[in-house]
Amino acid sequence: MSRRRKVSTKNEEKMLVELKKELGPQLIEGYVQRPRRIHIKVNPGAHRKAIEFMRDKWDVWHVSTITGIDLGEKIEVIFHMWKFKEPQTAILVRTEVPKSEPKLETVTDIVPASNFYEREVHDLLGVVFEGHPNLERIVLPDDWPEGVYPLRKDWQPPE
Amino acid sequence: MSLVRIPVGPQHPALHEPENFTIEVEGETVVDVKVRIGYVHRGIEKGLESRTYVQGIFLSGRICGICSNCHTTTYAMTVEEAGGIEVPEKANYIRTIISELERIHSHLLWLGSAGLEIGFETMFMYVWRDREVVMDLLEAISGNRVNYAINIVGGVRRDITPELAKEIRKGLDYLEERTNYYKKLCFEETTIRKRTEGVGVLDTVTARKLGAVGPTARGSNVKFDVRKDDPHLKYDEAEFELITWDTCDTFARIVVRILEVLESIKIVRWCLDHMPKKGDIRPQKIIRRVPEGEAYGRFECQRGELVYFVKSDGSDKPYRVKVRTPTMANILSVPELLKGGYIADVPIALASIDPCFACEDRITFVDVEKERKWTWTKEQLRKYAMEFNRREGRW
Amino acid sequence: MLDKVVKWSRVKSPWVLHMNTGGCNGCDIEILAVLMPRFDVERFGIILTGSPRHADVLLCTGAVTKQMKKRLIRIYEQMPEPKFVMAIGNCACTGGVFKGCYGVEGGIDTTIPVDIYVPGCPPKPEAIIDGVAKLLAKLQES
Repeated sequence: MSRRRKVSTKNEEKMLVELKKELGPQLIEGYVQRPRRIHIKVNPGAHRKAIEFMRDKWDVWHVSTITGIDLGEKIEVIFHMWKFKEPQTAILVRTEVPKSEPKLETVTDIVPASNFYEREVHDLLGVVFEGHPNLERIVLPDDWPEGVYPLRKDWQPPE
Repeated sequence: MSLVRIPVGPQHPALHEPENFTIEVEGETVVDVKVRIGYVHRGIEKGLESRTYVQGIFLSGRICGICSNCHTTTYAMTVEEAGGIEVPEKANYIRTIISELERIHSHLLWLGSAGLEIGFETMFMYVWRDREVVMDLLEAISGNRVNYAINIVGGVRRDITPELAKEIRKGLDYLEERTNYYKKLCFEETTIRKRTEGVGVLDTVTARKLGAVGPTARGSNVKFDVRKDDPHLKYDEAEFELITWDTCDTFARIVVRILEVLESIKIVRWCLDHMPKKGDIRPQKIIRRVPEGEAYGRFECQRGELVYFVKSDGSDKPYRVKVRTPTMANILSVPELLKGGYIADVPIALASIDPCFACEDRITFVDVEKERKWTWTKEQLRKYAMEFNRREGRW
Repeated sequence: MLDKVVKWSRVKSPWVLHMNTGGCNGCDIEILAVLMPRFDVERFGIILTGSPRHADVLLCTGAVTKQMKKRLIRIYEQMPEPKFVMAIGNCACTGGVFKGCYGVEGGIDTTIPVDIYVPGCPPKPEAIIDGVAKLLAKLQES
């Protein structure tokens, strides 16, 4: 491993403290995985507050992608944000929604780049992003049946 | 020399299936663009969940044939981080060398195709002939011209011997000389400048807002390069510049890519100078099971930021793999790029974000004023563009 | 007599249409490399065309995705007889590495009949030229 590579996580710890102060009890869990990787888990709905805070306070305007993971009873949605201003770091904002009612508020008004990523999570996992300007089909073929979400664990491709 | 045409797609005007791009025009000017992607959606993320980590490398490398190495490297790096697997030092050097050689191959491929879009077919032929030097080097190192599969979880599969290193240096000297020639060509040749300056403008603020990545963003003066922001492999030690250009148009993107080829040559030379002569390149045993964990990997692919998110559960297959390719990030910027420009500028402006071939074979135009609708293949659009530019004196 | 002339011109100068039905572009760049001065398949008289109505040969790459299936069938139907199909690459032959993925039907022969299979991932330019030579031989016989 190189000597010049950053190994201290002081800056990331400071940022995590600021996030905890801003979100209070809405922040369920937060940890620094390694330099340039902060993970926070928030209540659904609080993700907007977290992303807005990061945009206004730290000039975080880039969302790299949005991941959806089927955890069985719940679907986890992770917003992968990237902070450009020094110290540069990735902040993963995670939240969980019940599979029986997978609804989450959109963040396209805060970070417009999330447009396509929300549509993709909707297509493949069925999460409805309330307030999205055009939540249409994006990656699946046009004749794909409605209500069938291929990335859910209970769906397998036909043999 | 006979004309080379790259034919893609049928030209029947009565076809009513969904198009990749629907461009609304008023006369000659583009007013809006609607994009439909998904023609190449194969279901790879689900496929990766049912393949072992060893098999997954081969699948992820075929998400895109031109950036194949970026995908396998990022997949391997992310799985290694999720499982806490150490990679030998020499393997990191080899990974960096192959990644930069792939960047050179891809940028030269793009430069040739861009030349074709402008109508500069001679440049297309010359650049692709020079690109064969890189293809031969990659074949000598990895055994294949495309889809090298040099990575495995924990290291690389093939070593670079001192003889091979000598061959690489010879190849780099030739490529540097040729790239400097293309750089001079771009700055001095009026055809190229007339066809690309002021075309496909994406200002800095919009580029940031819409999440543009790679040379598309750097050509709009956004200092975004994962090799500098989030160092991995040997990028924090190798000496190279972050290239940006401030004219925010297609010309800027051409310049950024040419200058990046020169920087890549520098990085490969640095790696060859500093790579340990002896050392392990792969783990002692093939790593089948990866301990439980999660990791978020970022990599600077030729087209921009490539991200992988891997969640492992202790078995020999990943629980979830999420891939976001850079073209998906750049497609959101395409409407802004094309709006306000001429129909004739569409081929080169669209090509300047370096999208995958399969994404843009047919384009539908809708004239909102005259309520007319027509579909052109890429070939027809290119022909129209050349005639238009000839008429307007941009030739 | 006219038959012989038509056959001679078809063998001497087959018109080829290239179509990517959902591949990774690896095979496509090797096809383009085959047109370049180093390999130069044009000396065989191959001419690329943009329209299926003028094509003798359909060059397909990539596994057929569900979204592209209808388009592939339509293009095949638009080509005049006699027509030949060349499947280039492992994915075009059998579905390759994507077999089993939900977005993919399989190889080209799940949708249209194939005459020549050129395996490889991607096949080297020399292999593609070999496939072309075998195709010309087949055209001669027909």
